[in-house]
Amino acid sequence: MGVQLLVGTRKGLFTIRGDDERRSFEVQGPYLKGWTINHAVSDPRDGVLYACTNNWVYGGTVHRSDDDGATWERSENLGLPEESGLKLASTWHLEPGHTTEPGTLWLGGEPAVLFRSEDSGASWEVNEAVLEHETRARWEPGAGGLITHSITLDREDPKKLWIGISAAGVFRTEDGGATWKPANQGTEACFFPENRFPEVGQCVHKVLAHPGRAGRLWQQNHCGVYRSDDSGESWERLDLNGLPSGFGFALALDPSDPDTAFVIPEESAENRVTCDGRIGIYRTTDAGVSWRLIVAEEPAWAAVLREGMSFDDEAVYAGTQSGHVYALRDGEVVEAARHLPPILSVEAAPLQ
Amino acid sequence: MVVVLLPGLLATEAGGQKRFELDAATLNEALRALPVADLVLDERGEVRPLVHVYVDGDRAHDLAAPLSPAARVRIVAAIAGGQTA
Repeated sequence: MGVQLLVGTRKGLFTIRGDDERRSFEVQGPYLKGWTINHAVSDPRDGVLYACTNNWVYGGTVHRSDDDGATWERSENLGLPEESGLKLASTWHLEPGHTTEPGTLWLGGEPAVLFRSEDSGASWEVNEAVLEHETRARWEPGAGGLITHSITLDREDPKKLWIGISAAGVFRTEDGGATWKPANQGTEACFFPENRFPEVGQCVHKVLAHPGRAGRLWQQNHCGVYRSDDSGESWERLDLNGLPSGFGFALALDPSDPDTAFVIPEESAENRVTCDGRIGIYRTTDAGVSWRLIVAEEPAWAAVLREGMSFDDEAVYAGTQSGHVYALRDGEVVEAARHLPPILSVEAAPLQ
Repeated sequence: MVVVLLPGLLATEAGGQKRFELDAATLNEALRALPVADLVLDERGEVRPLVHVYVDGDRAHDLAAPLSPAARVRIVAAIAGGQTA
């Protein structure tokens, strides 16, 4: 089966159709001209496209398309309650809900907010437990703002999911979002002068739950790469096992192998370029005990952002800030697109 | 009828319609009647900071101010862009 890549950029949304072998790609778009697309995804339950759309002037919202991008509807009435004293600044990540809950969506945004929709995005309800979390006063914005950017579901239990907030850390709910517990034990806040292992305040860059092994999570953090085998109760640091840097954003998994993960390290927090002047995709196949470099392109310094890497059963895909998209399959790298606007997100879906 | 003119992106979001003719006694009524009211106004009903509204050629700040029946309202996206971080 072919693949459809949804590529969110600073200047609209592009789609890329790839063949069964992931060797031939065709770019279409842009769609949603005038909007910055922080993230776009195809709902695996019904094929509807969703985009987190943002504009300097008109704010952040969500668009949906049920005709593969030909026409779009905007979510209206998306905002924060007056009593919160906050206003929605931007939308960052949309996660289709559990397979047993059709029409349910989760949406993360700035300032560190989470919404849930039960009608495919027609209306949204803010998650009050995140909005009023007891540790919220200790959350600080990262370079991209105080944003809820990662939302990852437990495959079996629709009440269980994790969110990542920069810079607050990872939080887990087991009651469908009624309560959220910090899940940061063992992850370092290396930018703090003291107490580098606080309850909250960690700068998670991306967190993903493995779809095939319950309780296994992977995390690319400001301060390292981590794995958890107990649903985020504790984390083990992995970047010291052969990665050139612990800093980075992009993270991808292999659905068929919970011990395999992919990252694209950056030189440092102070110099956010690819390590060693190349877009180096590093892979572990032993749960992070060791990492192996697979060079995608060199020389190249344009990094891959937090939503910029995706995967399916066949391949891993990465989109760079220089507008290039690469597909990695069986250790071979193929260029899928070049010279798009700076890429903010890549998501892969089966080609319908 | 009050006439409201939209800039490009708002017109696209309004289904391609740039010009609206409305019955509106105040600027607030006129803006809320638009199919893109959520993009012009934030969740508090306040005009977004980089949205500028002109009534008969003058910049308008008071949403409650009455509109003449033949008022011409123009919505302008302030010049903005680039990257701040």
